[in-house]
Amino acid sequence: MHLQLTVNGNPREVDGAWEGESLLYVLRERLGLPGSKNACEQGECGSCSVYLDGVLVCSCLVLAAQAAGRDVVTVEGLAENGELHPIQKDFVEAGAVQCGFCTPGLIVATHELLARNPRPTDPEIREALAGNLCRCTGYEKILDAVRAAAVRNSRA
Amino acid sequence: MGHRSYVGQSPPRREDPGLVAGAHRYVADIVVPGCLDAVFVRSFEAHGLLNAVDLAAAQSMEGIVGAYSAGELPDLPVTPAPPRAEVPPEMSWPALARDRVRFAGQPIAVVLAADRYTAEDGAELVFADIDPLEAVIDPGPAASDEVMLFEPRSNVVSVREFGAPVDDVMDSAPVVVETIIRNERLCPTSIETRGIVVVPDGDDITVHVSHQAPQRLRQSLARSFGIEAELVRVIVPHVGGAFGAKSQTYPEYIVIAHLARKLGRPVRWIEDRREAFAGATHGRGQTQRLRLAADREGNLLALEALVDADIGAYPHTGEFIAANTGWMLSGPYTIPHLHVRVRAVVTNTTPTAAYRGAGRPEAAYALERALDRLAHRLGADPAELRLRNFIDRNEFPYRSPTGAVYDSGDHAAALRLALERAGYDDARAEQRRRRTTGDGNPLGIGIGSYIERSGGQEGSTEFGSVTIEPDGTVVARSGATPQGQGHATAFAQVVASALEVELDRVSVIQGDTDEVPVGVGTFGSRSMQVGGSSLHHAAHDALEEARLRASAHLEVAEADLRYDDGRFTVVGTDRSVTLGQLATERALSAQAEFGPPQAFPFGTYVAVVELDRDTGDISLEKLVAVDDCGIVINPKLVEGQSVGSIIQGIGQALYEQVVFDEYGQPLMSSLMDYSLPTVAELPELVLDQTVTPNPNVPLGNKGAGEAGCIGTPPAIVNAIVDALGGRDEGIDLPVTPEKVWLVLSRSD
Ligand code: FES
Ligand code: FES
Repeated sequence: MHLQLTVNGNPREVDGAWEGESLLYVLRERLGLPGSKNACEQGECGSCSVYLDGVLVCSCLVLAAQAAGRDVVTVEGLAENGELHPIQKDFVEAGAVQCGFCTPGLIVATHELLARNPRPTDPEIREALAGNLCRCTGYEKILDAVRAAAVRNSRA
Repeated sequence: MGHRSYVGQSPPRREDPGLVAGAHRYVADIVVPGCLDAVFVRSFEAHGLLNAVDLAAAQSMEGIVGAYSAGELPDLPVTPAPPRAEVPPEMSWPALARDRVRFAGQPIAVVLAADRYTAEDGAELVFADIDPLEAVIDPGPAASDEVMLFEPRSNVVSVREFGAPVDDVMDSAPVVVETIIRNERLCPTSIETRGIVVVPDGDDITVHVSHQAPQRLRQSLARSFGIEAELVRVIVPHVGGAFGAKSQTYPEYIVIAHLARKLGRPVRWIEDRREAFAGATHGRGQTQRLRLAADREGNLLALEALVDADIGAYPHTGEFIAANTGWMLSGPYTIPHLHVRVRAVVTNTTPTAAYRGAGRPEAAYALERALDRLAHRLGADPAELRLRNFIDRNEFPYRSPTGAVYDSGDHAAALRLALERAGYDDARAEQRRRRTTGDGNPLGIGIGSYIERSGGQEGSTEFGSVTIEPDGTVVARSGATPQGQGHATAFAQVVASALEVELDRVSVIQGDTDEVPVGVGTFGSRSMQVGGSSLHHAAHDALEEARLRASAHLEVAEADLRYDDGRFTVVGTDRSVTLGQLATERALSAQAEFGPPQAFPFGTYVAVVELDRDTGDISLEKLVAVDDCGIVINPKLVEGQSVGSIIQGIGQALYEQVVFDEYGQPLMSSLMDYSLPTVAELPELVLDQTVTPNPNVPLGNKGAGEAGCIGTPPAIVNAIVDALGGRDEGIDLPVTPEKVWLVLSRSD
């Protein structure tokens, strides 16, 4: 199929996609955006998290056909003017990254959490991020990163 | 005179800006034009005769470039055994099954197409005709050889013994506790699965792979294909976690490299999550029978451990991992008489290999559970029992009855600190109050003391080189290739400190055999202890060479030179020369392959749990971890390793378990079936440390990164059993609310 969609603010077109392939596949294999990671393709790890029309989704569970005409934002689209987004900097500062494979998904999920709830409590953070698996960090520093972002938001 | 040292500092990790931006490349992100995608067809039977593999439908499907079983690939090499494993040739692991399948998930055929979706469809069309045979999945029954995997050969691949039988001590000892422990199989479950891309170019192949030991993989591929190692270049890009499961040469890697060479086309295989559960190696998997003897005061007299290690269908790395358990079974205690027998037994399950801790968690868990049983029997405080039996700090270096030489330690200090940080006395008082008043839920306090071994095999080395460039920058190369630990930052700290130059002047190269042809790899908590020490030595040698050159260049004795921040100055003058200038005419470089003795990090963990009387729910209220890994080079990195390892230990204690049914079918195929801890399971953690320097390496450091997997499970399970008043029937790993509830309900 011929697919038109907006990715990170840019109109993109894809020829020859199969309707049943995943949005994650389209992003990674067809559009040269491998920032979103494939760690399960079953909607269980959150590594592929992106925005679809402003809603946080697992892109491995969205079909290419469903993404037609929609607006997608990936981890590659969060930096502003070539500068890391403050949340990305919070992750670096806090030591929330080890192998980094879960990180893009966690960054997008955190971005979404803070957009709807700028000052989340600890239980709210835990609930929001419980769908993002990380095997390396033990999560403690990820919590620290999100807490730091929340503190920054309360100062703003 | 300024002496720069970055030891003990936590500069920002170099990888992180690219990682948070999603900009760094892992193996599945590498774009190779014209690359074929491979999909494996795997055995659905755990044990059976493979009569035929019908590839016709797949081969004729549009878009399928090729479909192969072992029959089509007569010269396909077998999966090479790892260097240390004792693998009889008749038990070798075929890269694609021939005639016989021995575990569910074993590769039988492979299908190639220009894209993954097409290859998956092709794989669906492959039909394998298998006559099922009875499967054996438990190492105990397997050892009886009623069902054999490699008849006429016994399923018992090897038997290793430590010490000598202790029956006479057991017979006369005042107190003997016995226990049978099942240390369940776990799935390492790095979030990035396995993956490999092989690009042929004439006789050369370039292998991009998610791996812990590129130099070793290169040697092993070269040997398998009978070609010179120089023809094989292995490149490890960013790796999304490994935890031991990415250190070997897998059958899939042999198949992919073979096809790329045969077809002269690039081929890649990116494992999916379902395959990762069935096809990648598992860890742990031991049944242990322990007898621990003591006198009435609690002085340990003897330990006997009979260990059956389930190593899966083909002897591989798991064959010698079990030896680590035997090696470490006397733990941090003085045990006068010890007898350990470890049998490595094949079963119709996925082969086992290293998983974070690799044999040491199994040892620590068994011993610490047995000690708590003994404390319960004696009515002794478990902390007192441990303090009574620890090796005294003045006895190091200490030769354990298994032959391990512990370099240094102060186990009592670590335990006391852990008790203090846990508020042990208050928690015990609260426990007594609840028990006497009957108020509130059962509270338990558990201790897990451990000693581990870091550095890998005795005498194993790592390559490190340091090159000073004419512009004054420094390039460090190491064979220790990272999977997210942050080596680049920590190694730069070591080299910059040794050369007394700014940290930013040092860059680190790893993970490409063209750049670093020699090396061993990252496992066994060895990178900083062995690899870091090599870099330290190389940097010092480079600096000494520079000093010689400076003295010739400036025509003064070395004693008249002062060195500061990359510059030699003649004392009392302004005549000077920089490191960069000394590297202009002739390359200025040094290398080392240092092999220090193993080190023995140690510590004590204390868990406080509360059990829900009605539901059996386990609430981990607090976990205190006191680790001693000697001098710490980068505290933030070590803390990250500790926390990550602790959460994996919590996973083993409470959630994770690989289960096969009686036919050998794995009952977990997704992350919904295999419960990794999530952020919701993170308890209150208290981390602390004692510092006992390693006397055998220049910077005094020991390995870090596996301790949490070792100390955490016994601390938590001992706490649960403590809350249950010592009743541990049915309380095995992982301890679920159901198991707790059953014990609670039996007593109420
Ligand atoms: S890859 Fe989409 S949720 Fe795991
Ligand atoms: S940092 Fe490795 S999985 Fe999260």
